Amino acid sequence: MTAAAQHAYDSYEALVEDYFEKGWTDGLPIMPPTLEKVAAFLERAGLSGDEVLGTVPTREVTCTAEQAAANAVMAGCLPEYFPAVVAAVRAHLHPKGNCHSTTGTLSGAAQAVIINGPVRNELGVASAAGCFGPGFRANATIGRALRLVIRNVCRGIPGFLDRASYSTPARYSFCFGENEEASDWEPLHVQRGLDPEQSAVTVHSLMKMVEATDFTSRSAEGVCDTLVTNIRANGIAGDSWLGEDGNVVIVIGHEHHRFFIEDGWSKTDIQQHLWPRLNAPATSATDRMARIGTPEGILIVAAGGAGMGASWLLLPHLALAITEPIS
Amino acid sequence: MTALIGLDPTSGPFDRTDEHDFSPRPASLDGAVVALVANGLGEGEIFLDALYDELAKLSDPQAPLKVVKSSVSIPPDPGDWSRLTEEATVAITGFGG
Repeated sequence: MTAAAQHAYDSYEALVEDYFEKGWTDGLPIMPPTLEKVAAFLERAGLSGDEVLGTVPTREVTCTAEQAAANAVMAGCLPEYFPAVVAAVRAHLHPKGNCHSTTGTLSGAAQAVIINGPVRNELGVASAAGCFGPGFRANATIGRALRLVIRNVCRGIPGFLDRASYSTPARYSFCFGENEEASDWEPLHVQRGLDPEQSAVTVHSLMKMVEATDFTSRSAEGVCDTLVTNIRANGIAGDSWLGEDGNVVIVIGHEHHRFFIEDGWSKTDIQQHLWPRLNAPATSATDRMARIGTPEGILIVAAGGAGMGASWLLLPHLALAITEPIS
Repeated sequence: MTALIGLDPTSGPFDRTDEHDFSPRPASLDGAVVALVANGLGEGEIFLDALYDELAKLSDPQAPLKVVKSSVSIPPDPGDWSRLTEEATVAITGFGG
């Protein structure tokens, strides 16, 4: 049984062209969301098609598991990816994930999907060299599936409820894993209260990505100075509705990570060191208070490959980072 | 011969007639109730107040209807929407970083 309307086609090409015509793709070709494939995805996640994954009240939209599955098929996911897609959709549609604002904004904010736990290796989610870019099916299609849900279910369509002035390539897909094997750092999902053996997805709204390059520091403290300078120069969005739980995600690159390990710094040490420095009063137009309510709101993720003396700052739009277990 | 059945991946049909063309500009603001909708970012409220003062030099509007959103993160609340749709002749929205 399906609640979705069905359309018949003579060929794959005819289906794809009609989906383009109907405005159901992101501008790239899709895989056909057939009854059989959608059913296989739902079975893999143990969900019935009518199960509600979330809502967008301002748009009078409800997202069902069947709709998410159809979009995950279209994105090119394998059935085993679908539980991660479900978790990502649930996280994005959490009230404080603020779908309406983060997908409608002039600023063209995107969604970063960060995957933790054993599922990373089971699905082949890249977390080391090249993990932000193309070449990895799980990364590419899980991130794309969430964006297709935003387009097709949540009506985040450019020129309609997506009002971005420029938008961003990160809106095609942005998904990566944490390189949990890089050190004994506590993984992100464990810091957020889940067991190490529980796989999880964290969805973080992304106002902009800033590369914090530092080729000269040779200490944890030196790298932190660079992170603070870059975050304070760019600022952090937030307001009272989000409360004290606002987030910034800092992806610590391989060449910076090793200085933290050599100096014996844990993620908690980094959070405690950064927090008062980010919240210090402004000293100039390019050195502004970057208000984060608590040290725990600074989310540290190890990812990326060797060679480049850089970490990445994933600066938030008006939403909290939401972590959901993968069932 | 039908080879493929594809499912509709959307949350259903919806009315896109409100794709946002700019509203027609009124010929005059004389007697108009001008709503000033500030989303709370930056100095947007100060800017809108100053803009209204300039408009009042060019025409003779009624007292402004001010709406300052309670949060930059979410739309105006239902009471503000009612005031805007029921009382305003024109509305100016603004935001500032």
